[in-house]
Amino acid sequence: MIKSEPKSILQFMASHYDLLRDLFDLQVKNDIITKEALSICIENYDKNIQAQLTEYQILVEQNDDFAFNEPYLILFEFIHQQFKPLLPEEIEHFGQSIRTLFLKIKEGINDDKNILLERIEALSNQIKKFTNAVINNTKSLLTESKELKANNKKIDYQEKIHKARYLIENYISPLNTILDVNHSQSIYNELLNVSQFSNVKRFDYGDESIRREFEKLYHLLRQVGKDLNTQSVILTNELLPLIERIKTESQYLRGFHHYLNNGNCYKGIEPPRIFVSTRDNIYNRFVYENTKEYFEQFKNEAELIVVEDAQQTIDWLFDKSKYKETLNKNLPVEDFFKWCESSIKQESENFSFDNFFMVTSLLFEDDYEVTVNKQGNKITVSNDESELIMPKLTIKKQEDVSR
Amino acid sequence: MYPDKHKEIVTSLMEGKFITVEDFLFETIKKNEDFYINFFETSFGFEIIGNHDFYYLVSSDTNENTSRDISIFFSILCYELDKDGKNFLEELNYSEFHIDEILEFFKNSSWLDVIKANKQLNTDDSLKRHIGTMVKRNIAVKQSNDRYSFTKAHKLFIDFAKDLVKDDKNESIA
Repeated sequence: MIKSEPKSILQFMASHYDLLRDLFDLQVKNDIITKEALSICIENYDKNIQAQLTEYQILVEQNDDFAFNEPYLILFEFIHQQFKPLLPEEIEHFGQSIRTLFLKIKEGINDDKNILLERIEALSNQIKKFTNAVINNTKSLLTESKELKANNKKIDYQEKIHKARYLIENYISPLNTILDVNHSQSIYNELLNVSQFSNVKRFDYGDESIRREFEKLYHLLRQVGKDLNTQSVILTNELLPLIERIKTESQYLRGFHHYLNNGNCYKGIEPPRIFVSTRDNIYNRFVYENTKEYFEQFKNEAELIVVEDAQQTIDWLFDKSKYKETLNKNLPVEDFFKWCESSIKQESENFSFDNFFMVTSLLFEDDYEVTVNKQGNKITVSNDESELIMPKLTIKKQEDVSR
Repeated sequence: MYPDKHKEIVTSLMEGKFITVEDFLFETIKKNEDFYINFFETSFGFEIIGNHDFYYLVSSDTNENTSRDISIFFSILCYELDKDGKNFLEELNYSEFHIDEILEFFKNSSWLDVIKANKQLNTDDSLKRHIGTMVKRNIAVKQSNDRYSFTKAHKLFIDFAKDLVKDDKNESIA
């Protein structure tokens, strides 16, 4: 029993809001406010209000510690829009109540009027609680997912993935099932059945007060349908994509973690192949200028006229086999060079020394043995232009060489 | 007849550059993809690799050190961006980074041992040079006022890391 005026309580809450907010945060964080924590908090604000806190039943004692009283906790959660997500089992609990009450209403549709009225009223209450639970849960899950995505607490990616997985498995997927219109057992579908039933009964029931209750229930369900649909859209368009992004990023992050960890990047794992660029460009930077320069060098070249000599000269050809045959017939020859001179003169009186030297090359044939005149006699060979002085060479057939 | 800008395409690719979808040359290669596959294979024995984001050349030789440095660079940068609460996939695609911001990420990274062991990443100057190398290969683009953005070519290096654990389903979160 609270003796104080409601207005006094609200004024007290307004005056000490900051302190109460700190206590609320402690409660959310630890599920309890220890005696020590309460003392520290009160000391920090230098306000001796512990008596009022218990008198107004804002805090209730739990053994030696304290806890926020539930109506105040709900109030604070609501005004801060900071809800602790409900487990699917807790939400399912409303679903069970809704199913049971609906079944009872259908079975006892012709029973006592008063119990039917109370059941319809109770069903409405459960539907409202269920809807609030879903709305609050979606909000809190969205907030948690956004915080996780923003990583305000700078947690490591592994912890982040762990939390994301936890949220998906324990909260988001079950909530999705609860709201899934395609899932025959979803609470959403059960509500559609209730809506359909009440829509019929609001016209088709003998008692007017019952018809009115069904009418109210039907309108409540129309609103609930809209609200749940909104939540379902938030879930599909915001929450699931957000989690999906965390999931995609986590696949990359796992890869980076694996690559960087244990020196993996330096051993064992080959990076992507990339091209080895060379300094030699496939196209020289000056290819155009160089090509142009190359062709231009021929552009202004003076014309070169080659005038062929009109007078034909008859080239003398050294017929080696013929000369060698003659030489062989005359072996041994006492003076080789003179023999050369006389031989060539038989062909042409006016011989050149070039031709003469060609004939003398017979000297180097393997078939002959050459000896120099021991007295050191010199001979001379001359034509119109010059005179050669040469040693006197004797040439004879080499005995041991077969011809 | 060669395709338009043939010389520019060949020169860029032979310099080890990525031609990305942001570049108008990309469309020319895409339209003449068979020609370029054949051209590089027949002329030089090189392979041109392409997807809907970029084209690049590979040969039997690979610049393993540079590729490793780039892979480590992106792995660390993404890791730090994520730790900073940023969506690194979007950041790499659409954001510009001041050089000081990048240097700061590396200075405060939890992968200091990896960074210290890497001569291309372990000082401010070497990191700047490394980013310069990425600019030359058209993986990064220098914007005004010491700011850099990344081209779609960055995906080669981050997808490579992602695919390292692609088949490992044990740690999958969904």
